Amino acid sequence: MLSKAIIQDIIGTVLKHGGDFAEVFVEKKYQNRFELKDGKLEKANTGTIVGVGIRGFLGTKAIYAYTNVLERENLISVAKRVGEALGEAKLSDLVLNFDDKNLKNRHIVYFNPKDIEKDKKVDVMKRAYHSAKNFSELIKQVAVMYWDYDQEVLIANSEGTWAEDRRIRTRLMISAVAEHNGNMERGFYGPGAGMGFEFFDRINVEEAAKRAARIAVRMVDAEPAPAGKMPVIISNEFGGVIFHEAVGHALEATSVAKGASVFAGKLGQKVAAECVSAVDDATIPNAWGSANIDDEGVPTRRNLLIDKGVLVSYLIDKLGGRRMNMESTGSGRRQDYTFAPTSRMSNTFILPGNYYPEEIIAATEYGLYAKTMGGGSVIPGTGEFNFAVMEAYLIENGKITKPVKGATLIGKGYEIIQKIDMVGNDLDRGQGMCGSLSGSIPADVGQPTLRVSEITVGGRNK
Amino acid sequence: MTFNEFKEKIFSLAKKDGFEAQVEFSEESEFSIRYANDDIDQYTDASKFSVIVKVLKDGKIGNSFTETLENPEETYNEAVSSWKIVDSDEENFFYDGKGKYLNMETYYGEFEKVPVKEKINFVKELYQSAKCNEKIVMVPYALFQNFAINKKLSNTLGLDLEFKSDGAYSFAMAISQDTSNHSGVWLKVGKKPKDLDPKEIGKKVCDEALSLLGAQTVNSGKYRVILRNTAFDDMLGLLRSMISAENVQKNMSPLKGKLNEKVGSDVLNILDVPYHPLSISNRPFDDEGVPTKEKSIIENGILKTYLHNLKTAKKDNVEPTGNAIRSEISPINLFVKPGELSFKELVEKLENGLIIIGVDGMHSGANPISGNFSLGARGYKVENGQIVGAVEQITISGNFLELLKNIEDVGNDLFVTFGTLTPSVLVKELDVAGK
Repeated sequence: MLSKAIIQDIIGTVLKHGGDFAEVFVEKKYQNRFELKDGKLEKANTGTIVGVGIRGFLGTKAIYAYTNVLERENLISVAKRVGEALGEAKLSDLVLNFDDKNLKNRHIVYFNPKDIEKDKKVDVMKRAYHSAKNFSELIKQVAVMYWDYDQEVLIANSEGTWAEDRRIRTRLMISAVAEHNGNMERGFYGPGAGMGFEFFDRINVEEAAKRAARIAVRMVDAEPAPAGKMPVIISNEFGGVIFHEAVGHALEATSVAKGASVFAGKLGQKVAAECVSAVDDATIPNAWGSANIDDEGVPTRRNLLIDKGVLVSYLIDKLGGRRMNMESTGSGRRQDYTFAPTSRMSNTFILPGNYYPEEIIAATEYGLYAKTMGGGSVIPGTGEFNFAVMEAYLIENGKITKPVKGATLIGKGYEIIQKIDMVGNDLDRGQGMCGSLSGSIPADVGQPTLRVSEITVGGRNK
Repeated sequence: MTFNEFKEKIFSLAKKDGFEAQVEFSEESEFSIRYANDDIDQYTDASKFSVIVKVLKDGKIGNSFTETLENPEETYNEAVSSWKIVDSDEENFFYDGKGKYLNMETYYGEFEKVPVKEKINFVKELYQSAKCNEKIVMVPYALFQNFAINKKLSNTLGLDLEFKSDGAYSFAMAISQDTSNHSGVWLKVGKKPKDLDPKEIGKKVCDEALSLLGAQTVNSGKYRVILRNTAFDDMLGLLRSMISAENVQKNMSPLKGKLNEKVGSDVLNILDVPYHPLSISNRPFDDEGVPTKEKSIIENGILKTYLHNLKTAKKDNVEPTGNAIRSEISPINLFVKPGELSFKELVEKLENGLIIIGVDGMHSGANPISGNFSLGARGYKVENGQIVGAVEQITISGNFLELLKNIEDVGNDLFVTFGTLTPSVLVKELDVAGK
């Protein structure tokens, strides 16, 4: 993409004009986004972005600039502005020996999306459409989105890092709307992976589509969820979004370094119930949130975050590391070259416990069974979170009795993880897009079925 | 290759294959400084350009995009291969640019002239003002950002437009602490440097955080509620989705079939305005090149129009409304017409109930298809027309259309964000979940 000589000059220019660290991020990303509605392909968009991000540090001060005018003159002038914004000019000339991080690719891809005809992709979308549409007469609308990309990155820095990676990702998203007696509800399921077109040999497209349809159909006639504090059982897979939002974000250096997180200064302390252990693992082969290196060129790794209730690690990027006086955990990520990287999650999940999900339900007198979570958000400074439950059921006398809709879960992350009292044995992961300071990035959330002894459920009052 | 050469190449390739073609070129620059921990936390100085190519034949459009002007053939071919797989029966169009365009000033060029040092001082002052009191334990961020956009839009039907716009915004968050932490945020947008005062914004942020000290939850039940402008602004996201003719035509909006029917209370007037003096989102034409224009969406509670792009307008046999924004349909400036009462008078009219100053979870806890919402919320408790305490850890829930019908009064306290301008509203009854 860019030659070693130019990159060396960019880095040299930043350092010469004032930085003590310089980094170049070069990206080329080819992507396809298709949209199918009512069984017809309505929108098809394909394209490539190419650009460069240049970053400099002086101590804990960081300056970021990006451009997609890749001529040498422009790149050097951008680098000069970065250096000058950092501090005083230095005179020393730089000799850089790049250390080629020739990492083994853990994420083998068989069919690059670039090499697959677009109509094959549309065929997959249509299979999903028919499966969801035929699930029930109540299904009135089905939208299917297809997304794939091939992202090539190169990261070089003044510490001698020279690292390249290629991230290929494919995702299918099905949204089904059921209508009955004037009520409308939507179900969604969006499986994805760090794979090429072979992804569709690994998943059952029809079943994935039915899952979206099932949620919509079950919820359309459901009565409003009850309101108030009650035990909540959160199902496995995408249920992990609660941990992602309520705890994961607060473990990111971005909020910890500022003291903005409730978990700041709590390393080695008990922060969760003993049955809770959690990891962030970007090394899982072909997972949605995986990569060989992070977007700062650091090899990714499996980070144990919470071990039997004790906080053992944060998620740290280079700048966060400088601020916290700690090493990077390989967690620097960004959406694309238009964002400076920051500490982010990859594939984050709670580790399995001993209970069968059925046991957890049977042990619950009254409560809410959150079968499919919607999205949510959190304010790291206060720990306050909120989640929508897309598919929920009422539990009465240890049995699931009826579907209920419109439930929202609110609370504070650090309180909730102390209130987890049963953890199931059915760990699974689900795919999502995580939005934060450095943009929107693919991330897996995950957990086994688990129970929180008490959460405030926002529902309707009778 | 220059943009003009690139465009001409696309047009000639298209002509040869019997396509109409449209090329959109946009150049964007941004400058932002974020302050935290008494120092610059993030500093971004950036510019990029992008090109969108569309080809049209038989009512179908194929899209592609690129960030280099070197390969017009490749970009054209991607658009054509996208065109080939589109099989929708819907008819798409390009616009010929023959409409009447409003004259408006959208570019002032003042922010880019402000020296970096002054911008750094701005965020420093913002940060310090947000820390106005020892009960503020942290200011996680204080930000200033200015931007400029230059767009060119041309097609083979003769459309040839250019548009330049700039502006800035600033916001910060402060955390206050008693037995737990409480957050305060405030945002202001501006067209010129004089519109943004760091001390004023910082003071607001600080006051907001302090005002939540001692916050308690409330008993679950039905309450009279004021949705303060800051909260109603967020919730209007639901209406944005519902008034899109695309969503209406696809059965994805509860406003389907409700044209010229009562959907809100008599006191409710909502417009889409292409220009408002306080907005930084003003535009003379939309992304299809169609002139923007002012229109009533809800007038005295009655739904007057949906928002259209070229395709949905043709389908409904109406004029396009100039609301194609990116690949969506969206208002230019969603403007809730202010009423008579000041915020204080609105609180007196509320008498007993809650003021909601902020909601969480709009992207997950609000369903634009049904209008149902259930959102985390914070604010104050009001007794006898006076604020008596702060409220947190509650949710508000209901249906947005019911809420619009339950609006008893509209304040005169206009709050401006990105393309939304709204005062506070008083709602007769809303479900609240607490303890």
